[in-house]
Amino acid sequence: MPAPTIERPLRVGYVPLTDAAPLLLADALGLFARHGVPVVLSAEAGWAALRDKLAFGALHAAHLLGPLAIALAAGAGGLRRRLTITTGLARNGNTIVLSPALAAAIGPFAPPLDPRRFAEALHARAEEGLPPPTLAVVFPFSSHNYLLRHWLAAGGLDPDHDVRLVVVPPPRVARALTEGAIEGFCAGEPWGSQAVVTGAGRFVLATGDIWRDHPEKVLAFGESIAERDEEAVLSVTAAVIEAAAWLEDPANRPSAARILQERAFSELPLSTITAALEGRVAAAPGFSPQPIAAPMRFLAASRPRREEAAAWFSAMRRWGHAAAADAEALAPWRPDLWDRAAARFSPRPVTGRASPSPLLQMPLESDA
Amino acid sequence: MQAGLEAAGFQVVAVSADTADLTRLVRESQADVIVCDLDDPSRDALESMRVLNRDEPRPVVVFASRGEPDQIEAALEAGVAAYVVEGLAPARVRPVLEVAIRRFRAFQALRNELDEARATLAERTLIERAKGVLMQRRRLSEGEAYRLMRRWAMDRSQRLVEVARQLLSEHDAK
Repeated sequence: MPAPTIERPLRVGYVPLTDAAPLLLADALGLFARHGVPVVLSAEAGWAALRDKLAFGALHAAHLLGPLAIALAAGAGGLRRRLTITTGLARNGNTIVLSPALAAAIGPFAPPLDPRRFAEALHARAEEGLPPPTLAVVFPFSSHNYLLRHWLAAGGLDPDHDVRLVVVPPPRVARALTEGAIEGFCAGEPWGSQAVVTGAGRFVLATGDIWRDHPEKVLAFGESIAERDEEAVLSVTAAVIEAAAWLEDPANRPSAARILQERAFSELPLSTITAALEGRVAAAPGFSPQPIAAPMRFLAASRPRREEAAAWFSAMRRWGHAAAADAEALAPWRPDLWDRAAARFSPRPVTGRASPSPLLQMPLESDA
Repeated sequence: MQAGLEAAGFQVVAVSADTADLTRLVRESQADVIVCDLDDPSRDALESMRVLNRDEPRPVVVFASRGEPDQIEAALEAGVAAYVVEGLAPARVRPVLEVAIRRFRAFQALRNELDEARATLAERTLIERAKGVLMQRRRLSEGEAYRLMRRWAMDRSQRLVEVARQLLSEHDAK
């Protein structure tokens, strides 16, 4: 066997979010070591920093937004890199939260909020001469941006006209809402729960209510890493698959939450972190946690699916964030590598089916 | 860093410690270039200003504490951000910032040439707005409103965007 060509330990980046759990748990449970590949995890402040470190070699692999991998493959943000995605990390797991004032303007509702109700509130507000509300997503090329846009458009709102979309890194959304810099956000857990618990915001719906069981973050390796050191890529992938299977067992949730708190969210109460693992959004004191119809899942996301990623690319084209057809756009998704990593387990992990996307149902004018 | 930039002959028009209202600060300060650290959380907001081409995008120069020469070259090739490693030596700062501004302007010019994509975006906005008007007025779902507009377009042998434009002008006249 040739000597490994990538230096050890492998540096793997993540943004502090509950859906980084398969990476954090693989590390905490010693699974990287057991699969024979030393890994050092690195917490990153936001997606731009993580993307650049992955693109320029300071990280070997990372927890990544699916649409960001497409943007890099298609050169949509100016920078072109072909990453290798060997496994999905989670499905669902983001929440849309509004400030108490904006939520009150809608009138009484129970989650998930119908986007037409939200549109009515915004039309009424516009008639009073008020400016459109500022809503945050976590990055331009993110599932959050495209799912929120889909939901707004389903209510008859133009996301580039009727609201002002800005970007705030996930660990900062709750504070931005408290400070009034934004009036709502779509972000991954536990940050929505944190805003609800502190009274900064009200939960209105989960992104799984927009596209049931949508794929969320992926594990992506830097360009040419898979060609240079396939063994490292397969071993890291196998460790993450094993962690996802471990997370699937409800008996492991309390220790998973404690490990996440210790490693990524030391400033948050345990109940805020546990909520997403239990399929809920945490509640303000005195209220019951809200159940989520399509909760965060780990193993069900494990095998990366190009047909699902196609929905992100379609949304990017719909909103003018990517040019027309690009054969490279979905090339990073490598279910074949997942299959080889998963073959190390007996029986092979069961990860369920692909989830059909409503984002593919809206025909593009350019295709008409 | 401020002293380093001023020593290199630049005027520092604003310093922001936080992401809140960053876009307004950039606009009001009339900055030609934005300088920040690789790990600065404000970078995500700056990125959205650039990628989505709203709010007057600016070139961003990113300082990293480690990196390799070919990586920095690759970042420059991307035409939108400059990477500087090993801190701020005044002699190096000026050329790097000038290259970043020049490349950014070239990139923007190239972008403006892609007005086909731009026109498509403008047309898309008209269609989205017209669809919203129909949905509100006729209490239709998004799919129903879209199909109705498509049917009108087909019946009248018009492009969808023309139907949208008429619909909006009737709506605005009311």
